[in-house]
Amino acid sequence: MNAFRFSTAPLDTASLQREMRDVTCGGFAAFEGWVRNHNEGLAVTRLEYEAFAELAEKEGARIVQEAIARFGVTRAGCVHRIGSLALGEVAVWVGVSAAHRDEAFRACRYIIDEVKHRVPIWKKEHYENGDSGWVNCERCAAPAAHHEEYAAPAAHERDYAAPVNYLHEHAHAHDHDHDHDHEIPSVAAPDYSRQIALREVGPEGQARLRAASVLVVGAGGLGVPVLQYLAGAGVGRIGIVDADRLEPSNLHRQTWYALADCGLEKSTLAAERVRALNPEVRVEPHALHLDANNADRLAAGHDLILDCSDNFATKFLLNDLALRTRKPVLFASVYQYEGQLQVVRGDEATACLRCVWPEATRDGLVGNCAEAGVLGPVPGVFGSLQALEALKLLLGLPGLEPGEMLIFDLVSLNTQRLRARRTPDCDAHRRAGQSAATLSPLELEVQFGSLAEAQAAGFTFVDVRDSRERADDPLPSLALCLPMSKLLTDAAMLDTGGRYLLICATGKRSAAAADLLRSQGFRECRSLRGGIKGLKASA
Amino acid sequence: MPDRIIRVQYYALLREQAGRSDETLTTSARDARELYMELSQRYAFTLPAEMLRVAINAEFGEWSQPLEAGDAVVFIPPVAGG
Repeated sequence: MNAFRFSTAPLDTASLQREMRDVTCGGFAAFEGWVRNHNEGLAVTRLEYEAFAELAEKEGARIVQEAIARFGVTRAGCVHRIGSLALGEVAVWVGVSAAHRDEAFRACRYIIDEVKHRVPIWKKEHYENGDSGWVNCERCAAPAAHHEEYAAPAAHERDYAAPVNYLHEHAHAHDHDHDHDHEIPSVAAPDYSRQIALREVGPEGQARLRAASVLVVGAGGLGVPVLQYLAGAGVGRIGIVDADRLEPSNLHRQTWYALADCGLEKSTLAAERVRALNPEVRVEPHALHLDANNADRLAAGHDLILDCSDNFATKFLLNDLALRTRKPVLFASVYQYEGQLQVVRGDEATACLRCVWPEATRDGLVGNCAEAGVLGPVPGVFGSLQALEALKLLLGLPGLEPGEMLIFDLVSLNTQRLRARRTPDCDAHRRAGQSAATLSPLELEVQFGSLAEAQAAGFTFVDVRDSRERADDPLPSLALCLPMSKLLTDAAMLDTGGRYLLICATGKRSAAAADLLRSQGFRECRSLRGGIKGLKASA
Repeated sequence: MPDRIIRVQYYALLREQAGRSDETLTTSARDARELYMELSQRYAFTLPAEMLRVAINAEFGEWSQPLEAGDAVVFIPPVAGG
């Protein structure tokens, strides 16, 4: 069967089960979600399912592939009904067959949980009293880690506590139907199990990485290991800025590329490599030099910036950006056999690059890789350290302190951690302080061409419209519902560090709401510029 | 000013010009700037102190910071290679 599909016709579960048969399998587990006759005290007579099909099928297929890769099961499939359903009908079916029962149960549970969570399907209830309403946006679209937030049976399927499980322990050959089209692609799916196994990462950490968005400035000696490890780790969105084309002299330290690639844009090459390594990463190459005019635009929507550049002009631009936007920037620089690593948080209290380096610092003073020479693994070590610090920062693990500089001499293998203080007369801090007031409203709003784009950027949607507006024009994606009237009383349902995109009809109320929530400590709140109207216009 | 024993480390261009990454030396220099002047003459350093940072005992310090016996002094030029 197809890994994930929609069906407008009632589901023939016996036939679906037959599609899961395989002589190598000793166990089969299935889950069925049924249409229930009540919801939140109201008698329900029937319901309708609608799906954002293009996005939903892709996401559904991804979930099934994840389950196959993660639990090592043999076959897995999920079918979801769309259209009008009567009471008692099967709304969703999940089936998994595997060598042993344990992985079949676990994969089945994983698929239904993730489908309910991530696949944009919404439903309209029809009540006995003649009313109707769209209810799915009452569900939470938070990352997979927050199972408890949606495990509560809010909608029509029966409780998860009573799944319909069939288990056939059959080790011997018997009559199998080989006519089914078993179309699970042979390409493996990303598997983060080795890092999820770390107590400090776990499923929650993985969800954080998936929701994270990192801008990597420079795809050379430092950028290559940085991109490899961030993509490998499953960071959700990665922007790559590099205007250079690959040269043969780069290859001794940029060993991700090939000799045949010389002459091509590094940003394009790096993006191809990232996609090949991990197709789950949304990668955005920019064949540009970062400059004062494009820095803010390039950094928009990213949570963290990694400076993998080879010049002071770029480093100081990124330092100023950190101070303006309060986005942390992780700097790395190498020289021959040594290098420096530093994190700038961009706040008022901690040191920035300018607090450390005098205004006179500029390119040409000390050599770059071309002038001074560099041994290939040196940027490899520093890029790896930079990736490590980036992942720790995204996961909330301890690391380099703001302003602190790590110096590592790879000849003597001596390391130094040097503490830097915020310089009271730092010009960069002073300039940022002056412009902060005018820049903060820009940061509050963010523009996307589609909700899928915003979702890929790791945003959880918060619909601030009232229930009538939501019913008239439902959001084609899962969202938390937090009407303006309940904004402050119900804000407790949000996580202060959460990455929320507030949405209303035109973007006005959501901007006001984001502003208000920011003042309450929800620092990652943003408003969708132009609102739903804007999305429709760009579509 | 009596002579004191100071441990010095060099990085980047300074390491190249000094021909070593660290040394322990006896100096009568009162502060970091005087020490750097003394070493600049010995090793013909091309970078003026204004372009560098000095760290004393694992903390970025001022050039005017007085030196004490046993201090660990690090001279760090900015580097930008990537």
